[in-house]
Order: sequence, then C-alpha cells, then structure tokens
Amino acid sequence: MMTDTPAHPGLISLQGIGKRYQLAGQELSILNDVCLSIAKGDSCGILGASGSGKSTLLNILGLLDLPNCGRYHFAGHDIFSASPDQLAAIRNQQIGFVFQSFNLLPRLSALDNVALPLSYRGVSRHESVEQALRMLEQVGLAERAHHRPADLSGGQRQRVAIARALVGKPSVILADEPTGNLDSTTAQEIMDLLLALNREQQVTLIIVTHDPHIAERLDRKILVRNGVVQEAGCL
Amino acid sequence: MSLRVEQSLSQLLHEAFISLRTLGKRSILALLGIVIGSSSVVALINIGHNAAVDAAMIFKDMGTDTLVAQFPPKGNSPATMRASLDLEAVRQAVPGIAHIGALTLFSGPMVFHGRTANANFVGTTPDIKDAMRIVVREGRFLSAFDANETYGVIGDQLAQALGVPGDPVKLGDRVRINDYLFLVIGILHSQPRAILMPVQANESLFIPAEGMRRIYASPQIGNVIIRATPGQDMERIARDASAALQRQLTDHTVDIQVPQQMIDGMTRQSRTFAYLLLALGAISLVGGGVGVMNVMLMNVSERRREIGIRMALGARQRDIRNLFLLEAVTLTAVGAACGAVIGMTAAWLYAWMSGWAFALAAAALPLGVGSTLLVGLFFGIYPAVSASKLQPVEALRDE
Repeated sequence: MMTDTPAHPGLISLQGIGKRYQLAGQELSILNDVCLSIAKGDSCGILGASGSGKSTLLNILGLLDLPNCGRYHFAGHDIFSASPDQLAAIRNQQIGFVFQSFNLLPRLSALDNVALPLSYRGVSRHESVEQALRMLEQVGLAERAHHRPADLSGGQRQRVAIARALVGKPSVILADEPTGNLDSTTAQEIMDLLLALNREQQVTLIIVTHDPHIAERLDRKILVRNGVVQEAGCL
Repeated sequence: MSLRVEQSLSQLLHEAFISLRTLGKRSILALLGIVIGSSSVVALINIGHNAAVDAAMIFKDMGTDTLVAQFPPKGNSPATMRASLDLEAVRQAVPGIAHIGALTLFSGPMVFHGRTANANFVGTTPDIKDAMRIVVREGRFLSAFDANETYGVIGDQLAQALGVPGDPVKLGDRVRINDYLFLVIGILHSQPRAILMPVQANESLFIPAEGMRRIYASPQIGNVIIRATPGQDMERIARDASAALQRQLTDHTVDIQVPQQMIDGMTRQSRTFAYLLLALGAISLVGGGVGVMNVMLMNVSERRREIGIRMALGARQRDIRNLFLLEAVTLTAVGAACGAVIGMTAAWLYAWMSGWAFALAAAALPLGVGSTLLVGLFFGIYPAVSASKLQPVEALRDE
C-alpha cells in the first residue's frame, strides 16, 4: 500500500537540486546542484555549520519547501508535478518529522498529539486513539497519555514527538537536531530509540545534526558546506 | 498509495470539541464582542417591535380602524332621515366589517334624585359597544332583548355629575328624562376622548334605538359607526359601505370620512422604526463581525507554528481552512446563543422599565442568531483561507 514500484533507484533521489531566496532584492543561493540518493533502511546524518543550508535541505527532503530547480523523486512520486494535496498526503503517509523544539500542539494531550497524523488520513477517532496509545506504549509513555506537553519533561516530549512521527508507519523519519534541546543522558536515550527503530523496523532515518558523536552512530554522513553537498567517506 | 482521503466525521467533531474546550482561555474577549453584537441585534429588533406595537396601539385607540358615516340631505330636500337602517344588510354586503352600529342623538336635561345634568341621549343597538370601544365598568351593556325596555347605560362622567358622595348613581337606580324613568343597567368606564366620534361616551346615556321616540317625536339616524377587522383597506370598506348604505336611502347621500391622515402617520412611523432598527442592527453586526475577523486573524498569526506542524503531519490546505472555519463558526455559534439569551433579557427589561407589554418579535431570534452566524462565517473565511495558503516551511519558521 505504501510503495509503488519506484521508477528510480532508492527511496529518495535528488538530482541537480537548487534553492534560491529573494532577500532584499538580492538573489541568495542556498543550495547548489545537490545530488543525493538515499535507499530504504539507510541511516544518514546531515552535518554542517549554521547557515550552511542543511535545514533547507531537510525542508526540501521533507516536502515542506519546494526547490527551484532539479529533479526530486520520493518513493516514485515526481515532486515537481505533484499538487499541494498530494504533497500533503505523501508527508502524511511516508514521512515522520521530529523537530529540535518538539513542536507538539500545546492544546492537545500527548495522546491526541500522537493521534493527529491519523486524523488527516480518514482514520476514525476511536481507531486512531487506539493506535496512538500503542505507539506511546512503545516509547514507554503510556501512563502519561493524558498529560499536556507542558506537564512533560523535555525527553518525554521528544518521545511523544517520535511516537507521533511513527504512528503513521512512515518509510522515512526526518529529525532536525532531535537532541539539541536535551541533556546528554536524555539525548543518548533518544538516539538509542531512533537507532533501534532504524535497525528493527527498517525505517529510513535522516538526522540533521552538528554533533559529531551523533553522526558517528549513523551509517552515512552527508556534509553540507555553502550549499554544496558532499558525502563523507565517499570522497 | 491513495492520495485522496477525507477527515472522518468523528475526527472533525473531536477538533470542534477541543476548540470549544479551549475557547474559554483563548478567546473570551472575542466571545464578548460577538455576544454584544448578537445580543444588541436581538434586543434592538425586539425593543423596536415592542415600541411599534405600543405605538400602533396608541393609533388604534385613536380610531384608525373606525369609519364614521354621515347622511347630509340631497340638495335642499326637507325630508327627514330614517329612524332605522338595515345594518345587517350592510354587514352582509361588505366583507371586513367587524362591528357596525347606528347612532340617533338627542340632548337634554336628565334628573336623578332631584339633581339635573345635561346629557347626550344616544339611541343605539348593542353592537355599538364594540364599534365605539365602550368598556362597561358595572352591570352590562344593552342587549338585543332590551329593545322595548326603558333601560339605560350611563357614561362615567355623567354618572359622577348626577351623583354626590354618599348617593352615587348605582345599578338599579332610575334616572328621569322628561316623563320617563330609565333603569340604569350599566355604568361605563371612563373613556379616552375619541377625536373622530360624533359623541363622547363619557357624557352620554345609551338607550335602545327603538325607545328614542319616548324622548323625541321624530328620531333620525345621525351617524353609522363601522369598525373594520384588523388589516383591512379602509378606503375600500368606506367605498363599499357607502354604496351599501346608499341603496337604503333616497333623499340623503352617504358621506364617510376615512381617517387617512392617521393611517398615513401610522405607516410612516412604523417605516421609520423599521429603517432605524435596520441601521442599528447592521452597524452592531458589522462591529461584531470585525471582532470575529480580528480574533481569527490573531488566532491565525498566533498559531502559525501549529499550522506548520499540522501541515508537516499531512494536513491539506482544506483541512487547515476547515479547522479555522470550524473554530470561527463554533465561536460565533456560542456567541450567538449567549447573545440571544442576553438580548432577550435586555429587551424584556427595557419593556418592563418603559411599561410596555413584552411581546416576542418573531423575527428577532432567527434574524439575530442567523445574521451573527452568517457574519461569523463571512469574516471567518478570510483568516481561514489565508491560514491555509501559508507555505509549511514559512509557518514552521521560528518568529
């Protein structure tokens, strides 16, 4: 159900991707001729200094932003020819996001936060709550299901966010500095959780980070420098 | 992979419930604006309605639904007017007549226990009671069985003029006119002065028309009073009644005055009321609507991040639009409901303080609540659409 036969090798395939912004009348080039291919089950770190364009790359990978030029195929879908609704559906069914600042909805309980992606898929309320509860159990937070995010610690919030990213059974998890706001012990636990998911469930893991220790634990390291992408170890 | 999915109803209801539950914290002020807008519309319409009813009642009492017929002789014909007319035939011929009665007038002194007062003697038929809006305080009015009796119904002012403290005119007393004693069977309430009436009930003694010959040798009908059923075209009734009466008369013409000026005044004032209320209601509604838009726009900019998160999780543009529209409608619905209650209470209080009868205007609730909802929807659409048009990456970016 999730994947058609991909027309291009790999789950994610970027060719000649460029991204420019108009800023105060000046053309600002963020990404130049990015070519990248990520296969199902990979774990990649995207590394780079602040302002190198790594967040922009993540936004493009996550279909939150559209590149100006190039070719991008995600699980067989041509991103340039997809409608906004189709992009939303791909995000909903194929991608799970984990953010540095957790990005939980403060008005909703942990359970409702986790159940939210399912509501955009036509799953009934009852069923989505059941699945969300199972997912919270998996990250070890079942007894906190009815707490608001404000009542949870940073590590707990990130675990809720991971449960939310996983509830839709995505093929890719995109994490933007997932441990950036956590202390080192908690960061370790979160990384263990993410890597376990990658290992056990073959979920493709893409993590933006500037922490070399985290990058060490991932299979591939992609360096972004001044809008140009290099793969460490390959070059 | 299926790319077309709709949010299920249970999920939409849950979203609505969540937004309702958190409404209290987020948008009390917005709610207040909407409540004020909606309640003022409901209150204005109802207060206006009550004022119009009150004003219409004043005009009605002055006799806008009453016609008075006179019978001037044709040319210089010396013929006397008839002593009786077939009013039942007129009633049959003209639809829309509620009450009709003829008056035969004569005036002279009247004596009670040695005290004398000048009075109008009105020979008439029982239906004149309703045609002239006469209210009986004690006893009863003349009936169809009293035709040959020497019974009289006395006006309030006349009764006071004839009585003294300790010896008032009571039911069962007899009053003397010339050589005849008339038994008082009814005493009337004090009536307001009727401008259009040829005779004031307060200063009159009503006796059966057939008995007028006892007082006056050749009684003639002076006037016919016609009262129309509500909502009739007075011009038409006047025309038809005039024709019907003319058929019974040979030497006299029929002259019916329509209280047109009063009717015009009444229509004009009710139109003025309607316009005034329309303007006031529209202004407060627009005010309430702008309040809704303000709150929703604030809501959108406050929750840009939430919009971005929802989009990242797979919400389509229409899901975001529906979310905010749903909230706007929930907000206005709650506001409209509160406004309806408060508006009605205010209208009732106002009526109570002004001494008006409180009547529920049929249009007030549906119009007030409906227009508030419509305004909420109208002013909610722009913020909702502008929220849905955000790019996910823009919405997610930290402020």
